[in-house]
Amino acid sequence: MSEEGPNQEQEPTEVSVRQTTPRAQPNRWTLMRRDWRDRRLAFLDLRKATYRAAGATVRGWFQPVRQVAQPPRDWIKERRRWTYPLLGALLVIAVGALPYLGTYYVIPLWLQRITDASVLARVALFSLFALGLNVVVGFAGLLDLGYVAFWALGSYTAAILTGARTYSLALQGGNTHVTAPVWNEWMWLIFPAALVVAVIAGIVLGSPTLRLRVDYLAIVTLGFGEIVRELANNMDSFTGGPRGITSIPHPAIQGFGLDIVWGTFLDIKYYWLLLVLVVFWVIAIRLLDDSRIGRAWVAIREDEVAAASMGVPIVRMKLAAFAIGACTGGVGGAVYALQVPFINPPTFALIQSILILSCVVIGGMGSIRGAIFGAAAIVLLPELFRGFLDYRFFVFGAAIVIVMIFRPQGIFPSKRRTAELLGAQHDDQLYDAARAGGSTT
Amino acid sequence: MGHCVSSIVAEFWDQTRNGLTLGAIYAMIALGYTMVYGVLQLINFAHSEVFMVSTVVTLYAFRDWFNVHNPITGPGLIVVLIGALIPCMLASGLLAIALERFAYRPLRKRGAPRLSFLISAIGASLFLQYLFVLMDGHHYLFIFRLPNILGPSPQPVPSPMATSTVFTLFGTAVSNKRVLVLVVALLMLFVLDIVVTRTKMGRGIRSVAQDAETASMMGVNIDRVIVTTFFIGGIMAGAAGLLYILVLGVPTYWFIGFIPGIKAFTAAVLGGIGNIRGAVLGGLLLGMVEAYSVPCFGAQWTTITAFVVLVLVLMVRPTGILGEEVAA
Repeated sequence: MSEEGPNQEQEPTEVSVRQTTPRAQPNRWTLMRRDWRDRRLAFLDLRKATYRAAGATVRGWFQPVRQVAQPPRDWIKERRRWTYPLLGALLVIAVGALPYLGTYYVIPLWLQRITDASVLARVALFSLFALGLNVVVGFAGLLDLGYVAFWALGSYTAAILTGARTYSLALQGGNTHVTAPVWNEWMWLIFPAALVVAVIAGIVLGSPTLRLRVDYLAIVTLGFGEIVRELANNMDSFTGGPRGITSIPHPAIQGFGLDIVWGTFLDIKYYWLLLVLVVFWVIAIRLLDDSRIGRAWVAIREDEVAAASMGVPIVRMKLAAFAIGACTGGVGGAVYALQVPFINPPTFALIQSILILSCVVIGGMGSIRGAIFGAAAIVLLPELFRGFLDYRFFVFGAAIVIVMIFRPQGIFPSKRRTAELLGAQHDDQLYDAARAGGSTT
Repeated sequence: MGHCVSSIVAEFWDQTRNGLTLGAIYAMIALGYTMVYGVLQLINFAHSEVFMVSTVVTLYAFRDWFNVHNPITGPGLIVVLIGALIPCMLASGLLAIALERFAYRPLRKRGAPRLSFLISAIGASLFLQYLFVLMDGHHYLFIFRLPNILGPSPQPVPSPMATSTVFTLFGTAVSNKRVLVLVVALLMLFVLDIVVTRTKMGRGIRSVAQDAETASMMGVNIDRVIVTTFFIGGIMAGAAGLLYILVLGVPTYWFIGFIPGIKAFTAAVLGGIGNIRGAVLGGLLLGMVEAYSVPCFGAQWTTITAFVVLVLVLMVRPTGILGEEVAA
C-alpha cells in the first residue's frame, strides 16, 4: 500500500498556490469528517475497486479525493451535528410514550392493538434481533437461517443462571418444598454472560463454516438452529427438556435511591428496557458501519477475492460480523426470558429465524432504519389482522410476496447497496439474461 | 461407543431397510430442490408445501374419491394407487408452476437481489400452509367457500394397502409398502435421468444450469426451461408425498412438509447442490445415517446426527460429495 496516507500529505506546496482568497481554515475535526466522507464516497466507486483488484494503482481510497476548494457550507449542515441527536432523542421519547396514547386519547381499536406495551416490546425485541442479523446478512452478506439459536442460547443462559432451571426441575421431580428464585443484584450479570455465551457459540459455528459459499452457509446455520433447539429438547437434566423452564425471575433495580421492579409480561418497563438496548445498538452499529470494519464488510460482500487481495482479513471479519450478530441475539434472548418467565424448545422454532430474516429483507438489507421498520411490519401486521384471526398468517404470507415483488430491494434500501446494485453487474447472469431479453426468446 | 457399534450391528439390516425407504423419499424431494437450484440458484423454500399438497391430495383421494376404509387387494388396489398417484403428481407439479409464475418470475423480471427470492418463497410457503388450515369447510376466500379437506388438526389417512411381508432378507422382513416405495422411486429416478440426459428439454435444462446467458443466445427458451424444471421437481415431490404417507402411515397436516423439506434440502447439499445424481446419493445417505443413528443414540437424536454429518461432510468437501453443478 505505497500510496497510503501520510507520505503524500506532507507535500502541501501545490495546494497553497491555488488558494487565492484567504479563508478561515476549517478546524481539524471538520477536516477529519470531510476526509472520512470522501473515503466513504470513494469506496462506492466499484470501477476503482476493479482496477485495484487488477493490480493498478488507483488514487483516492486512502487519501482525500477532492482537492478543489469547497464552497462555503450551509449553516444548516453545520447544525446537523446537534439537531440529529436532538431529533433522535425526541423520537425515542415519543416512541417510548406510545403505550400511553390509549390512556390519554380515544383511539380506534386497531391503534390500541398496536400500541399495547407487550406488542411494542415484541417490536423492540425483533428490532434488536433484526439489527443483529442485519450486520450478518446486510453488512457482511452472509446468509444466516439459524439466528434463533443465539436467541435460544441467551434465553437458556438467563434461565439457568438465575436458578429457574433448578427450580423447574425440582418441581418436575415432584419436590414441592422449593422456592421460586428471586431477583438479585448480581443477576444483572446474566446479560454479559448471555452475550459471551452467544459470541462463543457464534465463533464455534462460524470458524469451520465461514469458508463455505452463501447457500451452504444457509443450510449449515439452519442446521445449527435446529441442533440447538433439539439439544434443548433432549438434554432434560440440563435444560428442563420439552417441559421447559418456568418462574424465571423478573428483574429489579433496588438501592441507589431507586426502586424499579419489572412486573409481568405486560409491564411497560420491558418495552423501555428493550428500547434502551435498541438505541444503544443502533448507535453502536452505525459507528461500526462507518468504521474500518464496516468498509471491510462491504468489500467482502461485493468481491471476496478482491478484498482478500487487498489485505482484508476475510475470515476474521466474517467472524466479527457473526459474533456481533450473535451477541445481539444473546442479549435480546436474555431479556426475552426475563419478560415471559417461561421458555421451552418450541419457542425457538425455525419460523422465528425466518421472521427475523424477513424483517431485515423487507426493511432493506444493510439499512438500520429498514431493520427497525421491518421488525415493526413483521410484528404489527399480524396484530392488525387479529380481527380476522384465522386469516392473518394467510394474508401475511401473501403480503410478504407482494412486498418482495414490488420492492425487492426492501422498503428502506441502504444507499450504499443501491449504489452497488446500480453500478455493478449481477453475479447471477440469469437475472441479467432474463432482463436483457431471455424472456423474448 | 461399543454399545453404539454393537446395537448398529444387531439391527443393521432392519435399519438399512428403513434408511433406504426413507432415503428414496428424501432423494425424490431433494431432486426438486437441486434442479431448481441448478437453473435459478434459488433455495425453493416453498418446495416443502409442494410436498404437503401431495399428501393432502392423497388424503382426499383415498378418503373422499375412492372411499377406502378397509385395505383392498388385487387390481382394485392398483387402480386406487395409480388413481391417487397421478392427481398427486399433477397437483404438486401445477403448484410448483404456480409458485414459479407468481412468487419468483415477477422478481426475476425485475432483477431482484437473491435474498428477496428466499423471502418471497417463505411468504408463499406461509400462504399455502395457512390456506390449507383454512380448508375446514367454514372459511371463505372472498365469496368462495373453501372445501372441507384438511383444517388445522391432523387428519388420519386411510390406507388402501394392508402391510404384508413380501420377502425376508438376512432375517429382515421387507413389507410390500417398502417394495412399492423402492420400485416407484427407482422407476421415477430412472425416467428422470433419461429425460435430463437424452431429451431436448433435458439438454435445455442442463445448458441453462451451465450458463443461462449463452443458452438463451443459442435459442433456449429460458422461461420454458425454468417452468419445466419446476414441474419436474413438483412431480417428484408429488410422488414422494403419496409414498411418504403410505409407508409411514402418519396423518397429514398443514405443517407436514417442513421436516421432510429441510431433510431433503440437506440431502441435496450433501450430495452437491445442482447435481441430480448427487441429490439421489445424498438422499439415500441421509436416510441411512438417520436410520443407523436410531439404535445408536435414540430416535430423538436423528435430526442432530443428520446436521452434524452435513457439517462434517462440508468441512471435508465444501461443495458436497459429488460436487456442485450450477450456473457460474
